[in-house]
Amino acid sequence: MSSSSTPERAGDEATRVALDEVEEVEAILEQKPPKVEQALGQSDSRGRGGGWTTAALAAPGFLWLGFYLLAPLVVIILVSFWTRTDSGFDKVWTTSNYGDLFHDSTYWHNMLTTFETSLIAVAACLLFGFPVAYFLALKVEKLQYQIALFIVALAPFWTSFLTRAIAWTFPLMGREGALNQLLIKLHIVSHPVDAFGFSTLSVRLAMVQLYVLFMITPLFFSLAQVDRSALEAARDLGGNWWRTFREVILPQTMPGIVIGSIFIFVLTMGDYGTVQTVGGGNITSVGTLIYSKITAIQYPQGAASAVLLVIVLTIGVWVITRFANLREEL
Amino acid sequence: MADQGSSHSEGAATAAPSPTQGTGLDLVGLTKVFPGGTVAVDDVNLHVDHGEYVVLLGPSGCGKTTTLRMIGGHEYPTEGDIVLDGQSLVDLPPHKRPTTTVFQHFALFPHKTTLANVEFGLKMHGVSKDERRRLAFEALEMVGLAPLADRKPRALSGGQQQRVALARVLVTKPKALLLDEPLGDLDRLLQLRMRVELRNLQRQLGLMFIHVTHNQEEALSMADRIVVMNEARIQQVADPLTIATKPATELVARFMGDNNIIRGKVAEREGDRMVVEDEQRVRVSVVAPESSHGVGDEAMVAVRAAAVEVGANGAAPDGLNSAECEIVFVEFLGDLVKLHLLTGGERMLAKVSAEQYPTLRGREGERIQISWKEQDVQLLDT
Repeated sequence: MSSSSTPERAGDEATRVALDEVEEVEAILEQKPPKVEQALGQSDSRGRGGGWTTAALAAPGFLWLGFYLLAPLVVIILVSFWTRTDSGFDKVWTTSNYGDLFHDSTYWHNMLTTFETSLIAVAACLLFGFPVAYFLALKVEKLQYQIALFIVALAPFWTSFLTRAIAWTFPLMGREGALNQLLIKLHIVSHPVDAFGFSTLSVRLAMVQLYVLFMITPLFFSLAQVDRSALEAARDLGGNWWRTFREVILPQTMPGIVIGSIFIFVLTMGDYGTVQTVGGGNITSVGTLIYSKITAIQYPQGAASAVLLVIVLTIGVWVITRFANLREEL
Repeated sequence: MADQGSSHSEGAATAAPSPTQGTGLDLVGLTKVFPGGTVAVDDVNLHVDHGEYVVLLGPSGCGKTTTLRMIGGHEYPTEGDIVLDGQSLVDLPPHKRPTTTVFQHFALFPHKTTLANVEFGLKMHGVSKDERRRLAFEALEMVGLAPLADRKPRALSGGQQQRVALARVLVTKPKALLLDEPLGDLDRLLQLRMRVELRNLQRQLGLMFIHVTHNQEEALSMADRIVVMNEARIQQVADPLTIATKPATELVARFMGDNNIIRGKVAEREGDRMVVEDEQRVRVSVVAPESSHGVGDEAMVAVRAAAVEVGANGAAPDGLNSAECEIVFVEFLGDLVKLHLLTGGERMLAKVSAEQYPTLRGREGERIQISWKEQDVQLLDT
């Protein structure tokens, strides 16, 4: 829109003058302080004055976290450096618990398969959860319907975790279970498939169903924040459905994807209930390994395994958060 | 503008060969019935030329926004056709139409920078990276925002966001620009400035602008032509001066405000001229060559508040086009004075210059003579 002839340049000039006036008006209207530093300085001094109030408000949260998260973690770390005895442990410092673990191929093999299960669960929950959240947040027009349908999606989670986990054993995946019956009725298989029951596959399938809501919920809230008129604008400017999704919806949904992925990654990495129940003792994970060490009164080894798991989890969560600037976008 | 249009047209798919070519936009019997039976737009017929600034004006729910959304492709008409330069747009999705919309609350992409927002349309049309960067900067330059190209929308003021929204649509070189309450989100003072800026920009580009608003003053100050709508139908299409001084229907007269509407019966008729008398015996003469009113028929006329003069000097000897009123309230508005009056049971309004304020101040309750000229009386369709 560069101008080549003089009359247009004059027009440009007129617009420019009008623009300058607009800027002036805006400055008056918004009463912006001349410098950002000044504004920050003010809020800073205000913060110092209310230091005790802030501390008092934060105290309950700190106490809760300290008692239920930090203290147990400290105890576990301490125990992991103590020496194992037949009845528990002696308070004698040692690093041999970790030394043993580093050479324990079963442990690392389990860590790897658990990690694989976790990745599959995160990907599958995203794949199955996204359409549900998308439909709820962007296709359902009325807020009442959105809430009603969200509660419907929530309904299976009113049943206890154990009941749902057990449903994935004999009733669904067993020899006489629903899946085998269905495949036989459809003449896809002639004999019941044994591999469905108490297998890695059944554990992974169950995990998706058990945890998918932890993905749907943050995704739903992220998608609900997407400005629908911005989607119309994207369409208007020439974006088809896919380009609009890629360019406008997905980037704005990243915080939801990241939070959902953290939930599912952390829950599935540490999971032993699902593995124990749905796997029926045939399948192991880091969680079941720790559990069996604790039941065998090998507290220091169990503690060391748990500490390593926490380290792996922390690294994993850190990597996931790299995908979105949560601090800015939430 | 013509040479500019063609020099950049290779880029965007929606590029207009030249804004001045073509037959313009035609709405033909356009009708929209929403599921549930609400008629939002009822048989709207309208022609808009290229380079014309048309404002759709009306109260909320009158169908103006639905009309605009149908032109942009965001609503599908129940009946009728939308034709731009001989091509029907009805079956094209929004992204294939040579129109773009400035949405009510700007609808910027919050996660993209100003530059990326402006580049978006070009990117969707497959313009190369360097080319779209250049065109986007030109558009930002035009609205004076090039220095803020790296900011995200939330770091911009309302007026700046408005201008990003404008640059974002202008860069795609649409044949028609659709604006849905574009100034609605801005402070009043800023609105006044943006009116000038927007109108300047439109003149510079020579583009067809269709602008939706419920603000009478905004419509009068910006439009080449105003389309007044109410209850899904067009009430009147005319230039701002005609809309302001010669409202065609009671609705337009009431909606534009500051009109005295006198409802009565035709007392006399002599050729083109007739006298309407209301229940308070206020007699108004009006020249209406096209009316078919006979003596005794119901009739309605409008007199603009600004055409009403205060004082006995203007009154005709036969009491025509004048009335004696009680002053209810003297409202000082800075550059003029609004007198709220009562004749018998009817309220009337008079707007006089601020110079008269000292002589009118505090005279509530007193009686006063008002008068107006025959040429300021407008017969309304009922």
